[in-house]
Formats: sequence, structure tokens, C-alpha cells
Amino acid sequence: MRRELTFLLALWKANLLAAMEYRVAFISQVVGMMLNNAVYFLFWVLFFDRFQQVRGWGLNEMLILFGVVAAGFGLGVYLFGNALTLADVISGGRLDYYLSLPRPVLLHALASRSIVSGLGDAAYGLISFALAGHYTPDAVGRFALGALLSATIFLSFLVLTQSLAFYLGNATQLSAQATQAIIAFSLYPITLFDGTAKLLLFTVLPAAFMGAVPAEFVREFTWSTLAQLLTAALAFLSLALTVFHRGLRRYESGSAIQVEV
Amino acid sequence: MTLRRPLKYWAILKTQLLNSLAYPADLASRSLTIALFMWMFVQLWRATYRSAGQETIAGLTLRDTLWYLMMAETIVLSKPRLSRTIAEAVKNGEIAYLLNRPYSFLLYQASVGVGDSLLRLALNALTGGALVWATVGPPPDPRGWLLVLPAVALAWTIDFCIAAMIGLIAFVTEETVAFEWIYGKLMLILGGVLIPLDFFPAWLRSIALAMPFACAIYGPARLFVEPDPARLLSLLMIQGIWVMALGLLLTALYRRGVAWLTINGG
Amino acid sequence: MQTVHVRGLRKTFITRRKAPGLRGSLRALLRPERQTVEAVQDISFDVGEGEVLGFIGPNGAGKSTTIKILTGILHPTEGQAEVLGFVPWRQRRQLAYHIGTVFGQRPQLWYHLPAMDTFYLFGKVYELDDRTIRQRIAFLAEAFEIQDLLETPVRKLSLGQRMRCEVAASLLHRPRLILLDEPSIGLDVVAKQCIRDTVRHLNELEGVSVLLTSHDAGDIEALCRRVIILNHGRIVYQDEVSALKRRYLTSKLVEVKYAEEVATDFRVEGAETLKVGRYGVKLRFDARETPAGAVMARLAEAGDLVDVTISDPSLEEVIRAIYGKKP
Repeated sequence: MRRELTFLLALWKANLLAAMEYRVAFISQVVGMMLNNAVYFLFWVLFFDRFQQVRGWGLNEMLILFGVVAAGFGLGVYLFGNALTLADVISGGRLDYYLSLPRPVLLHALASRSIVSGLGDAAYGLISFALAGHYTPDAVGRFALGALLSATIFLSFLVLTQSLAFYLGNATQLSAQATQAIIAFSLYPITLFDGTAKLLLFTVLPAAFMGAVPAEFVREFTWSTLAQLLTAALAFLSLALTVFHRGLRRYESGSAIQVEV
Repeated sequence: MTLRRPLKYWAILKTQLLNSLAYPADLASRSLTIALFMWMFVQLWRATYRSAGQETIAGLTLRDTLWYLMMAETIVLSKPRLSRTIAEAVKNGEIAYLLNRPYSFLLYQASVGVGDSLLRLALNALTGGALVWATVGPPPDPRGWLLVLPAVALAWTIDFCIAAMIGLIAFVTEETVAFEWIYGKLMLILGGVLIPLDFFPAWLRSIALAMPFACAIYGPARLFVEPDPARLLSLLMIQGIWVMALGLLLTALYRRGVAWLTINGG
Repeated sequence: MQTVHVRGLRKTFITRRKAPGLRGSLRALLRPERQTVEAVQDISFDVGEGEVLGFIGPNGAGKSTTIKILTGILHPTEGQAEVLGFVPWRQRRQLAYHIGTVFGQRPQLWYHLPAMDTFYLFGKVYELDDRTIRQRIAFLAEAFEIQDLLETPVRKLSLGQRMRCEVAASLLHRPRLILLDEPSIGLDVVAKQCIRDTVRHLNELEGVSVLLTSHDAGDIEALCRRVIILNHGRIVYQDEVSALKRRYLTSKLVEVKYAEEVATDFRVEGAETLKVGRYGVKLRFDARETPAGAVMARLAEAGDLVDVTISDPSLEEVIRAIYGKKP
């Protein structure tokens, strides 16, 4: 465990150094993403300015929601950037490289890429949370935990969908759509959805666990919400690891995708 | 002799159109996006209208609002994405080679972009339209489909000018991505893609209406929901003015960039 | 102990064939057509300790598949293999600590960083402590003369300099076997020579065994004592390079074009006629038996020469010649 942590830190350091080689790009991507998110959030500002609230959700709830999702998402894609492109890594045969090294394949593959704009998302998330006005230390603690668990669920979902590449050969479009869907749904007030839709958002497309439930947890501590979050995070993480390694075995037997003889 | 010039762009457009047919699975999966967004809008605005307890808000019924959003999203999701292509061509020096060709670089990009996007436009309109129809019924006025077409054409032209200018920023700095993001989001908010300008507070509405984004998105989408020849005409006039202004600016910037390129090399 | 020991290795792929277009995709989904590809059929060989073995063959011969099996990335259908005492596909991770790879087409050094930074990262990948890393870097920097290059971002280095750093990096963790895949691809003549010297040095330096795959016969000639030629998944030639050279690598191919039509039984003393066209002929001759000058003189006498091309036989030609059949 400790060895992997040392390794991860070294990998993250290398990514940071590589990014810092291009100062202008670094800053413009971080700042650009913050502005990007802020302008998008204006939609909700305008909406709630006009309509005050919708099904129990108001501006404050949205600030917290955006805060926890952006922070989790941003940190997740900054530290494990290849989660968004794992399908391409698999289809392109680039797993061979990680397989020839004595480190866990998935971890190595995911952390080998860093999406700099993620820092902008994370920073934006912090600001959004700050604007919501919950300054008690336990609220901040819940925010950190909520963002962490949200990131875990999001990354697990990504690994799950991107691992389809082991079975389909080309899963880029499909996983891109799934990624877009979960992000979009996670940033919407969950109370807008009923019945089947709501069920889907707690299971197949766990946007609720990525957004609504962590946000709820940040607003108010209950054992129930904490339990839900932890269970969901654990469940999706184990599922993701299982599916990936099953696919990897398939890849190693050569029956996965295009074969280069 | 002079007719052959524009004809070559038509040929380029047609080729790209046929090319986009080659990957139907890709096309189909991209229309999932509009289905997703429209469905979320239905949930949001149905709940909003219900809790507001009114039939109309700012003169728009739920049906109007949803068809408005559908048209707005269709325009935005289908439009050609040229900032990246142009920026890349400038950054990796490809543009220098393209200057030797017997066609205008900008017009070429425009033809390729439109050819690539026409099918997407049709599919998005179909998918989005089907979903909205299934939830709130047919659009308020069938004439809207016809009247909106010229407005959409000019809307795409305005977008092209701005997108191309952003791409040309690559002459000055390598990092154009941030500008693309912000342009996209400004279009979303000030163009009225996510929320009709009618719902804006008055002061913001006047600011938004003064910008090109509004006549690219809000204009056509609003027209679609309340089609009226007079309205179309005034919209086309405003769009026309923006097209000229932005077009001139674009050409000037482009000439400047090319001049710099021919003096300084790739 | 042999570094690599392979017996009766066999790998069969079952691929799904898919016709192009939408209809093809649908059909493949509902009724997949399976096709069996025998990538590797019954391969046996050894690599001794400290040996540099050449591994050549045309595309599709089974080189990459064999390499993947040896590194544990792929499981064979049948057969045994042992690399450094490990069974690769069962003990992939343990084996990984003791082997290194250099792919000419897939660089490992991070493009935007100075090579030094990648060296440190590799150190962490292989769990070396900081002191060992520093010592190894110092040692390798001197051995490969890259001290001045280490602090420069890799993107600013020339291709040859980059490859030297790549090879040095692959030695950081003191592997006992290195797999070099197309190390000199895309390099100019000077850089190629530089790489060959580097590889020879790496072998001499620490007695590392090297398995070298290459399309370039010159690489093989310069570095390997033994060579294995693969074709259609089988070993078609396994012997010392000197023997191969003696037989085939000294022959030259000549293509000439004449102004007048050529007789169908065209021949020239000291050369073997390979192909006769209407105006041109393709011949092969052994440069040690018949000097090139003599052959050219006889060709010039035979008619009004319009065009001449002299080339080395391609690997395909060599393989074709070895067994007289088409690759």
C-alpha cells in the first residue's frame, strides 16, 4: 500500500512538473475553467432570481451542489486524468506498456495523465461552497468527505463504462455519452425526477450519489446519508475494479480486441 | 467563370456531407445528447410552471418554452465546431500550406463545417422535436419550421465568424481553449440557450439583446415559437448587420494574420 | 541458467471478422464470423546469459506476439516459456522488476520533461531508494555520455540523443534482460550508428541479455551473434549471423533499363537473373565473388543503358531466398 502511495506521489509530481513547463497554458486552463463554470452557474442565478425555488431547491442548495461536484470532479480528473480516456488507452493497445511494469495496471494507467483544468474545477468548487455560507468546521469536513466520495463514485463509473472497450473494441463514443450524462444529471436538482428516472439515477447512472446525496450530506449530517454514500462508493469501486480486471484477463488472453501480429 | 468560384465550395460542402454519412452510429449517438438535455428541461420547466401556478410566464406557455429550448439547443448542438480546427491549423503551421490552394481558407473551413453539420442538424431537430412533441404536443405554429431556416443559416454564419476569430487568436497565443470555453458559455447564457431571454430581468435582457449571441440563438428560437414574417424580417436585418460587422472584423484579422505569417514564416 | 527458454510456443487468436459499413456491423453483432489466426506456431529457442539475439521477420510473422508472451502480457495457447526463471504470464509482476523494454516507436521518456525527471520516476516505479537512483543515474550518465542531456527537456533533444537516453533509462533498475523493439527506426545513418554503439555498450557494460527485434538488417548485423528469422508464426532460420551474412547479406540487387527491348533469356556472367521485363532486368550478384564494377561493365556492354538502380536485398527477399517460397 505504502509503496503504491510513494509511486503515485512520484507520478503526480511528474505530471505537475510537465504541466508547469507551460505556464501560460496552465494558468489559462485553470482560470478559464473557473470562468467557464461561473458563467454556466449564472443560469441558476438567473433562474432562482426569477423563480425563487423549484421543488425545494433554491440558490443555496445549488451552490452546495456545484461546490461538491466540481471539487470532486476537478480533483478526480486532475489526479486520475486517464479515467476520461481509458477506453482509448485500451483500444490503442497502450495497456501493454503498463503491463510490462511492476505496478498495478489500473492505478498506473489512470494516474499517468493529468487534466490541468481540473484544478480550475476544484477551485471553483471551493468558492461555490464558500459562497453558500456554511463555515462551521464540521461543515467543511463534510464538504471534503463529500467531495472525496463523489469523486470516488464518478471515477468508478468512468472505469466501468470505459472498460467496455475490452468487450466492444471501440467504446469511445458510448463512454463519452455516459460521462456527459452523469455529469449533467449530477448538477440538477434531484427532486425534479420521479419514479423510474430517479431509480436510474441511484443505480445504473449514479448521478445522485455523485451530486445530490453528497450535497445533502454537506447541508446536514445524518448517519443515513453517510451510510448511503459510503456503501455506494464501496459498491461502485468494487464493481469497477472487478469489471476492469475481468476485462484485463480477457485482454491478456488476446481475445479482447484488434490483434497486432 | 465567376460562377465556378462559389460552386467549388458547394462541392466541398457536398463531399463533407456524404462523408458524414459514413459513420451513422456516431451520428446517432450524438443525438442522444439533445435527447438528454431536452428531457431534463422538460422535468425542470414542468415543475417550474406547476409551482409558479401560472399558464404563462412572461407570455410563454410551457409548450412555447420547451419548443423554444428545443430549437435553441438544436442550433447550438449542431453548429460546426471550427475554433479548434482553425486554431490547430494555425498552431501547427498547416495554414501556411493551405494558403497556396486556389480557395479561401476561411470559406473552405466554413463549407467543410456546414457539410459536416447538416445531417447533425436534421437528426437533432428530429430527436429533440420528437421528445418534446411526445411530452407537450406539436409546436405552436408549423410555419415556424420554414421561417426559422434562413434565421438559422445566418445564426450559424455569425457563430462561424466569432468561432473563426477565436481560432485565429492562435496567431497570438497557443492557448485558445479557454476562449472557446468562455465563448460557449456566454452563448449559453446571453444567447438564451438554457433560459429564454424573456425570463431575464429587464436590465440584463437589454444587454443581452445588444449582443450577437442573442440574434444567433434567441432570435431564431423565439421566432420559431411565434412565427411572423415581420418578425423574421427584422431578425434577418439585425443578423445581417452583425454578419457584416463580424465578417469585416474577421477578414481584417485574417489578413493581418496571413500578412504576419508570410513575413515571419510558419 | 538460460535467460530465456522457450519450447513449443503456440498462440492462436480467434478474431471476429467484420465487413465494412453499417450492415457489416449489424451482421457482426448478430452472427459473428469467427476467424482463427495462428500467430505463433511451435516456436522454440533459447537466449543465453549476456547474449544479444536478433529477432527478425516481416509484419505478421509473429514477432510482437512472441515478445508479448515473453513479457507476460499475453497468454500462450500452448507451450512453455521461462524468462529469468519466471513463467511470464503467471509471474508477470515479479518478472517486470527484472526486465526492461525500449520501443522505438513508443518512447517512455516524458516528452515535456528533462530526462532526469523520468529517471527519477522510473526509480519509483521499480521501488529503488533515492540513493540507488542517484548512483545509477550518475553511472549511466557517464557510461552513455548523456550528462549534458539530462537536464534538457526531451522534446528539445535530437532523435539520436533521445534514444540514447531511452536506452540508459531502461537500465536504471539493473534488468537482466532488455527487449529492444525497432530502436533505430526513423533515424538517419549517423543516429543509427550511435544507437548501435549504445546497445553494444549496454550489453558489454553489465552483461545484460538483449532480445532485439528489427526490420533493419544492419542493426542485426552490427549487434547480434545469433539471429532468429520468423515467418508465418514459425522459425524459418536460426543460426549465427555470420552464416546468414555468408549466404545472403552480401548479395546486391541490380535493376537496369535499356533503350531497346531485352531478350527473354538475358543473362550476364557472375549474376543471377531474377526477372526479365520488356526493357528492364532485375539481377542479383554476390559482391564478394563478382565485383560490382565487373557486373556493371558487363551490363553496360549488353546494351544502351538508360537507368540503373542498385540496392540491398530486403528482408522479404532474404526470407524468400532462404526457402525459395513467397513470404
